[in-house]
Amino acid sequence: MNEHPITLHVMDDLRRSRLTVFFRYLLYIPHGIWLELWGIAVILVAVLNWLVALVIGRPAAPFQRFNAAYLRYWTTVYAFLMLVANPFPGFTGEPGSYPVELSVPTTPEKQNRLKTFFRMFLALPTVVVLYVVLVPAMLICYPLLSFSWWASLITGRMPRGFRDLGANAIRYGAQVAGYALLVTGTYPCSSPYVGMALGVPVIDAAPAVAETPPAAAEKPTAPEAPEAPSEA
Amino acid sequence: MSKSSRRLLGLLVFGALAAAWLYAASRLWRTSVPDDLKLPKVDVGAIVGLSELHRAQHFSFVLDLFGLAGLLLPLIVLAFYAKWGHRFIGESAAGPIGTGMLLAMLGIAILWIAMLPSQLGALWWLRRYGIEKTGYVEMVVGTWSALGFEFLGICLTILIVMGFARLLGNNWWLAGAPIFVGIAILVTFVQPYAFNQPLEGHAALLQTEQRLAQREGVKAVPLRQINVSATTTAPNAMAMGLGPSRRIGLFDTILDGRFSEPELEVVVAHELAHHKHNDLWKGIGWYALFAFPIAFVIAQVTKRRGGMMVPLAVPLFLFVYVALPTLTLPIDNAFSRRLEAEADWTALKATNDPQSAKALFVSFVRTTNENPNPPFWDPILFGSHPTEAQRIGMVEAWQAQNGG
Repeated sequence: MNEHPITLHVMDDLRRSRLTVFFRYLLYIPHGIWLELWGIAVILVAVLNWLVALVIGRPAAPFQRFNAAYLRYWTTVYAFLMLVANPFPGFTGEPGSYPVELSVPTTPEKQNRLKTFFRMFLALPTVVVLYVVLVPAMLICYPLLSFSWWASLITGRMPRGFRDLGANAIRYGAQVAGYALLVTGTYPCSSPYVGMALGVPVIDAAPAVAETPPAAAEKPTAPEAPEAPSEA
Repeated sequence: MSKSSRRLLGLLVFGALAAAWLYAASRLWRTSVPDDLKLPKVDVGAIVGLSELHRAQHFSFVLDLFGLAGLLLPLIVLAFYAKWGHRFIGESAAGPIGTGMLLAMLGIAILWIAMLPSQLGALWWLRRYGIEKTGYVEMVVGTWSALGFEFLGICLTILIVMGFARLLGNNWWLAGAPIFVGIAILVTFVQPYAFNQPLEGHAALLQTEQRLAQREGVKAVPLRQINVSATTTAPNAMAMGLGPSRRIGLFDTILDGRFSEPELEVVVAHELAHHKHNDLWKGIGWYALFAFPIAFVIAQVTKRRGGMMVPLAVPLFLFVYVALPTLTLPIDNAFSRRLEAEADWTALKATNDPQSAKALFVSFVRTTNENPNPPFWDPILFGSHPTEAQRIGMVEAWQAQNGG
């Protein structure tokens, strides 16, 4: 099975603009600042949300939407920075706007109070895994340092393997953050086949499962986009 | 109201605004340097030495060529970008303002690439004359990093302009221009806090500053040392800040022993004079005078691309945003030269030491290699200060008036 409430949909066509690849670090700066500012608000919201979830047994709906938007935005910014996607992302985390996009549950689900109480401790192992997965992926995909940056700059295309590696790191990072922020009670999965939908667009972010939607075939998929994992 | 009445009212409002603008400009233009002051013709060669003079002329001529490239290249590059920059809209998945930011950043990025050869050329020339110490790679990396700050600045500008344009349509400039003036005030106020190293080992200079301040009836301001000697040998000093943040910054290249203590006193008196005459506020006032008309012209010009509400207008915006200040550069430089001349005049009166002032300006020629008597167009385009010949001439005029 490859279902996870937080799923990354990759509709990227591997084409890269040499100009934006060359200046990728600098183009990231306004997003980096906005991400930091939004992140501060998310931390405050997370504390309140945690208290609410302990009392009523599920996160508050406005906090859920706020955190979901942040996670979607975080995903697009890192996809842009790590060359996992080409276009310059928007600043609002609006769904349906980016070729590498996260589907996140926007309606809060009931969560076990005990697990909620110990959420930060439960999330710790995933954070360790995240640093084992995400940091090497960042080194491989980051501008200037990496083969993929040079390859994209010279050929105007991102090597698919590196793109998928970066996408997996982002997907896992989003699942960890989503778990820590109580967006979902489902534990992050380090397997690259869980919560990853290559070549499958986000149709409806609310259900947020990686089932291939019937309408997917009607959407223009990129010629280079690999098939979704076979267990879909 | 009939069409002709509206037209008449519009003309009256425009006339009143133009009169207010001219009045404000004339107030800012006024200085305490006597209007009838005649600067004598100075034989700079006899003062600094002919070989020094020829060296400075040769150095400045080539540097001016790089300076001209620095003025013209952005106009050429951004003119092309204004025509074809909209093609990059496809590289954005952001909304209108985010896409506008991307287009603006890419325009500046392309300009950076285009300017790099002439910047490297200028660096080579400055290194050849021992003015700059920065390495070529270091310079490229440094300008690359500075580009990040430029990106932030242009993103903020686009956010303000497009944000107001989406609220107010083509009248965005009415709200945008005051915001830019506010940002200029904020930056001027905050800037001194970036230089917090107190001046040490110059106790006499600190005492002199107290004495000069008392004599000039102005509050003494803290002196700060700004360390630049790792990258340049050019001496400099500056007045910074507004109100409680007022400071005088002395580059460590002016404190390295090449200038005598009395010469440094003239420098401090000059910078203190800027504070005495509220020159930083005047500079902001001058900026405000131009910010409104420039913003208005930008709003009118960008209408042909749909106005600043849409990202399509951003490449054209970028061109006009750079071109208009280039056009006003001669008058901006003339204004700056008047303030600097007034500071020189006040420093002469405060120190009562024309010999040291003259020695200082001669030392500037020797240490910066700047042509003391450049061709007429040089100060128009690049001269924020009077030429060294004019400064020496002012000292001689002051001596003629006061003796000494």
